[in-house]
Amino acid sequence: MASPRCYCGSILQIYLPIAELSMNVFFLMGIGGAVGFLSGLFGVGGGFLLTPLLIFSGVPTPVAVASVTGQVAAASTSGALSYLRRGGIDLHLALYLILSSTIGAMAGVGVFSLLRAAGQLDLFIALSYVVLLGLVGALMLTEALRTLAKRRAGIVIRDKLPSQHNWMHGLPMRIRFKKSRLYISVLPVLGIGLFIGFIGALLGVGGGFILVPALVYLLRVPGNVVIGTSLLQVVAMMCVTLMLHALQSQSVDIVLAFCLMLGGTVGAQFGASAGKYLRGDQLRALLAILVLAVALRFGLTLVLPPADPFSMAVLTAGGAS
Amino acid sequence: MRAALVVLAVGLATPTEAERLVSTVSNPNVAINSSFEGAGVSLFGNILPDLNSPTGIAAGPYNIVITVTGPSQDRVARVKTNSLGIWSNTDQQIFTLFPSYYAVIASGRLGDIADPATLERYAVLPGAQAALAAKSDTLKAERFGLELVRMMEEEGHLSVNEDGVQFLSDTAYTARVNLPSDVANGPFIAHTMVFKNSVLVAERSDGFTVRKSGFERDVFLTARQQPLLYGLACVLLAVATGWLAGVVFRR
Repeated sequence: MASPRCYCGSILQIYLPIAELSMNVFFLMGIGGAVGFLSGLFGVGGGFLLTPLLIFSGVPTPVAVASVTGQVAAASTSGALSYLRRGGIDLHLALYLILSSTIGAMAGVGVFSLLRAAGQLDLFIALSYVVLLGLVGALMLTEALRTLAKRRAGIVIRDKLPSQHNWMHGLPMRIRFKKSRLYISVLPVLGIGLFIGFIGALLGVGGGFILVPALVYLLRVPGNVVIGTSLLQVVAMMCVTLMLHALQSQSVDIVLAFCLMLGGTVGAQFGASAGKYLRGDQLRALLAILVLAVALRFGLTLVLPPADPFSMAVLTAGGAS
Repeated sequence: MRAALVVLAVGLATPTEAERLVSTVSNPNVAINSSFEGAGVSLFGNILPDLNSPTGIAAGPYNIVITVTGPSQDRVARVKTNSLGIWSNTDQQIFTLFPSYYAVIASGRLGDIADPATLERYAVLPGAQAALAAKSDTLKAERFGLELVRMMEEEGHLSVNEDGVQFLSDTAYTARVNLPSDVANGPFIAHTMVFKNSVLVAERSDGFTVRKSGFERDVFLTARQQPLLYGLACVLLAVATGWLAGVVFRR
């Protein structure tokens, strides 16, 4: 089996007590670092990249999903802090998002168990990835390319996006978010939070890749606080999900998570620094391409004939100390 | 631990005239530590003559078949088929109490050294183990069983080695099992069968355990017994690591 375990230098191997296998430390820190870099750059958690990578490397799926939440929490904390120092977080807005997404996450965990019992969780996850990532990626890419084209054509663009008002601004219960220079109804904010929490728990991702475009296109949050606010929301989301995993599935591998964290936090710092050299529309175009690539990857697994039509899974973890 | 071995030792099924077998394992406790990369366990044994044997010597030639069985798990094998252009799992077979690790080590080709009835009775072949775990002898169970065996062989958790038992003398033998690094933790049983002219003349079981030790054991036990504490520790570790990286990289 062409997996990175077993064949690497012996000093670098580390045994993962919950996953019950040994892996190369530098491989783990490397993929953690690479994904952490993207996390800091784009303000997304990176779980949607890291979880499939680990599963492909031979880590059991529940352990991969649960442990990645720890890595995403750490990388996002490091990224969020550097945005906080730059004043790039709307704490008021983040609080509303965190509260509603926590409720959404609990609902998501419930639906997750139902789907697993029905036996079609894998198919559902792959389809959701394709539809969700495909839609979000396509939307972002068109918008970003249009902005880039206009800039090239010499049209002066304001920092704010066009069409400042949409139907959401007509809703009741308006609240003023000073940092974001927004005076909008609280309902779409809570709605977005609920949806992100739900989908995040269901797909085992932080939801940053949906939250960033939702904040930009639906709420019109200015670019300078979007990523920081999104990162803070991801930190809170992931801490809640990590607790839920530790309590329910008991498949969080703290050693695996720590190896990923070490690489991830360092990568996130470099990512956040690199983000300063790119304009918002360039960042959005790059993130859109990344999101579309992952959607395509999942789409291909659904459409192309698998290398091995057979697969196996352990139903009861025969774990003993 | 010696006591446990004695308990596990199964007395030989006594036909009229039968050899006796003494055997042991090199490592009754395989400990997993942070640098665990798999382990090898050697099995030794010696065939003794029947107590009432007139000559007082064990006369061969003998052949040995050893099965090593790890802790059992419930497994499911699934098959993907294409419907409406999308590949999805459409059929599955559940295997209850299938060994997480299973190795057959023999001193020769199984078909030549042992009678088929005995091989059948002990479900020696991996396919027979799968049929047993499927609890069904339908064509579907057989098909999924074959695939399960193939996939577990590819992962190194299932093997048949018909050249794995070496005779040190006419009656003393040695064999070796290699446990991969992702071996399941728990009790293992090595069941040794001695054949003479394809007839089972002696058998014996030895046990060994694979378990985590030290830090790995503590982590595992905390995760299972104190999930709240463990979860809090994970959250704290994540936030602290992220915060520390932020401080370190602060210019």
